[in-house]
Amino acid sequence: MKPTKDLSERTLGWLLLSPVAVLLAIVVLYPVGQLIYSSFFTIRLTEPWLGTPFVGLENYARAWDDERFWGALQNTVLFIVVTVPGSLAVGLGLALLANMPFKRKWPVRLALLLPWALPLVFAGLIFRWFFDYKLGFFNDILMKIGIAPQAWLTDPVLAKIAICFTIIWKSSSFMALVLLAGLQAIPKSLYEAAEVDGASKWLQFKEITIPMLMPAIFVALIFRTITAIQTFDIPYAMTGGGPGDSTETLAMYIHKNTLDFLDFGYGSALATIMFVVSIIATSGYLRYTQRSAGRD
Amino acid sequence: MNIKKLVLAATLASIAAGTAWSQTTLRIFTGGQQRPDVMRKIADEYEKRTPGVKIAVEVGGATSDAQQQYLNTVLTSKDSVLDVVLIDVIRPAQWAAAGWAEPLDAYLGADRQKVLSQYMKAYVDANVVNGKVISLPYFADAQFLYYRKDLLEKYKRSAPKTWDDLMETAQIIMQGEKNQNLRGFETAGAPIEGTVCTYLVPLWGEGSDITKNGKLNLDTPEARAPFQLMGRLKQSGVLSPNVGEIATDRIRINMQAGNLIFAQTWGYVWNRSQNDADSQVKGKIGVAVLPSSKTGKGATCIGGWQLAVSAFSKNKAEAAKFVRYLSSPEVSKMQAIAASHLPVFPSVYKDKEVLAANPWFEFAGPIVETAKARPVTPRYQEVSDTIRSNMNAYLSGTKTTDVALGDMQKRLSPVFK
Amino acid sequence: MNFAALKTKTVVWFAALIVVVNGFFPALWILFTSLKTENELLQFPITYIPRDPTLVNYYQAFTEKPLHLFLLNSVIVAGSSTIITVIVSALAAYALTRLRMPRRNLIMGLLMAVAMFPLISLIVPLFQVMRELGLLNTYLSLILPYTVLSLPVCTLVMASFFQDISPDLEAAAMVDGCTRVQALFKIVLPLAAPGVFTAAILAFVNAWDEFLLALTFLSRETMRTLSVGITLYQGEFAFPWPLISAALIVAIVPVCILIAIFQERVVGGLTAGGVKG
Repeated sequence: MKPTKDLSERTLGWLLLSPVAVLLAIVVLYPVGQLIYSSFFTIRLTEPWLGTPFVGLENYARAWDDERFWGALQNTVLFIVVTVPGSLAVGLGLALLANMPFKRKWPVRLALLLPWALPLVFAGLIFRWFFDYKLGFFNDILMKIGIAPQAWLTDPVLAKIAICFTIIWKSSSFMALVLLAGLQAIPKSLYEAAEVDGASKWLQFKEITIPMLMPAIFVALIFRTITAIQTFDIPYAMTGGGPGDSTETLAMYIHKNTLDFLDFGYGSALATIMFVVSIIATSGYLRYTQRSAGRD
Repeated sequence: MNIKKLVLAATLASIAAGTAWSQTTLRIFTGGQQRPDVMRKIADEYEKRTPGVKIAVEVGGATSDAQQQYLNTVLTSKDSVLDVVLIDVIRPAQWAAAGWAEPLDAYLGADRQKVLSQYMKAYVDANVVNGKVISLPYFADAQFLYYRKDLLEKYKRSAPKTWDDLMETAQIIMQGEKNQNLRGFETAGAPIEGTVCTYLVPLWGEGSDITKNGKLNLDTPEARAPFQLMGRLKQSGVLSPNVGEIATDRIRINMQAGNLIFAQTWGYVWNRSQNDADSQVKGKIGVAVLPSSKTGKGATCIGGWQLAVSAFSKNKAEAAKFVRYLSSPEVSKMQAIAASHLPVFPSVYKDKEVLAANPWFEFAGPIVETAKARPVTPRYQEVSDTIRSNMNAYLSGTKTTDVALGDMQKRLSPVFK
Repeated sequence: MNFAALKTKTVVWFAALIVVVNGFFPALWILFTSLKTENELLQFPITYIPRDPTLVNYYQAFTEKPLHLFLLNSVIVAGSSTIITVIVSALAAYALTRLRMPRRNLIMGLLMAVAMFPLISLIVPLFQVMRELGLLNTYLSLILPYTVLSLPVCTLVMASFFQDISPDLEAAAMVDGCTRVQALFKIVLPLAAPGVFTAAILAFVNAWDEFLLALTFLSRETMRTLSVGITLYQGEFAFPWPLISAALIVAIVPVCILIAIFQERVVGGLTAGGVKG
């Protein structure tokens, strides 16, 4: 190839990337820069007479000693560890069910899409109501089968279960969609060949479906993990972090520190920590893309 | 085409934002719960009297917390978009400290003393911070003890003066009525602002407070009393087992459905329970001051909304004039009749037309007079968050009194140094 | 043979039942609630099917608040941000997959990293940016961040589609006198149509659902989007579920219609996206 063509291709490439660059600069890079910068200062709008002195890593040190921060981190990790595999399992189940040979496909498809289309805030509100002690659907069912009603949202363990349940319900539909797409891309001939060889359904699932589905699972997992790290709306709507702080997530605690307590320095430090956690949690994926690119 | 549409949309939006610039437009911010429709009517009246001034009423989020989060964002950015802001009674100290409110002393001038002396004392205390008038009251509110007059009469009990009395009465009635749905007492227990009062009212009833001479005062046996009281009420079945998820409006719903004997909640419940078509308790409800321990001096939690002029407003003088109008006995009366808002002037409670529209103001007035302010500090939001989440944890049975109180002390001691 | 067929049929029906109940139950619940009176809603024990169905909640939902404006605002915001997202991410995906760019993996990685930044923590600095640009209370204040919100996933989906298209087609077009950009719009994009649809739906739903930014940047009631507008029916002193349910039904029906029309393409579109990763 001639170098001139190379150059023009490169220029064109940068040109095509420039809208993304501009958008990211305005909406992400500049605010993020400001945020990281703020995390080294005391910025407490409730007490302006303190000024905004540079305090180095003090905000980070404060997080280290802040029990509530660790509690929120723990809850966030719990929600990730439970709901990411949980919605994968449920999503896979739904996708397998939805992949059955139906005559009419649309009711099933629509059923997969509906939870996805329901705004998070409202999913939270509706499930808060389902789990309500007195007027809730779940307790009504329990009472109908002769079990005492449970205080779903005011017991720390039950509240976590209720929130995980809701998150899984809401997020498994997107999982299922991605996985269903993956399932439909698997050539039928593979199964037919396995059938001829006398492989059982389970063996087919293990040896054909899962390996062929891996890339789809991977993509679904990455996006689910990123959203799980940022879990906010559903616990916010269902319990507001209660009882006590037992269902408060990192995102909720950051929101509280900045928008309620107006402690921007500390809130910024917490947000920076969360960003680092996100990067670590998904760095495996970044490495994967590097490798697969290397293969090309 | 798409770009065109976008530009068009953006242009339309900016035109909408800039209408009526020919004269002074004052933007007032109010919550959806503070009857923006009535505010609009009052503003229309003001526009008629004051040529050259237009009022735009902006309606914010539904809860006090949601409104303040939005205001925090706007004011942190020193945005001049709002001129007058309706703020919750718990906020003037925070607004004063943050420098968000334009002190009104200069605009009141020589009238300052005269103007302030008209209000109920609790509201002067709430709006004057470090000697400066930060805001002026718009309407009052307080927590009341609502009780079922008919049931109390049936069992020959009078409105309880002490908490023990309340518990005993509730138990007698619950036993006598044998109604599975009937509960003795309800108060806010969810992690919301109202739950702060669930802790404070019994504490005040002990004659104690969160702070003493500006220092944290939770080292006392009185500080344990609210937990112990709620624990006893819950254990005896007077308080519902799900009190940890009870938020403000649920109490009204339960009271109105006839499922409650006693309730600790805000003033709006009276009108709803007496006027709503589906109310089961019309004419069967009484209000009293909230009980206390033995001392017999019940204190209630103050509520209500205040008018502040934004420090970033470009029309401060006009805004201050409008605030003075909104905070006048005349407007207080208009609100009382149109929206049943409790007046902030003792004189308006005696007004015949007001009483005709709201006969219960006769009892409400003296109770509002006993109202106390929640801790006054610029960091109130942290204080509130600490109290509500610990009270909620205790009511849900996840923390003991010792743990809850210990956590409160740990979090509050840096605030009250 | 007959027994096996029956068994298969039963299994299929059962599968359909599970999926449909799981997906439709909350939506049906809202639908039924929207037809109840508040009084019935608070009845204990609870009722499922409304006893006295009424449409009054729908009427009230439109008269009490400007629901039609919320709907219009949502359509404008979600629609515009979808269009911009698709264009911008198509250009980026093209550059990253079809052009020999240096460090394209790093660029892709950076793009993904952006998606990981918690938007919640950016509200205050973003508000300041929007104010400085004079965009508060304009649709653009939401369109810009929503575009960024969906950029990573849309770029990823489209990139995987572009990878599948043979470079020869493009080369042939360029021999015929097309420029690179023309080739993108005339050859590559049409061939990647399912990917474009998928990206569009993803972007649209993301924008349609967003709450926190919409609450903060569009404070004027007439500018509000659906997700924010509907929460305003509630308050400290009231939680009118029947009314909110009616408004919610109004809010999810357009999305449902949209995805029902495009569902074949969405699922098909994710196929390539998912498998190629």
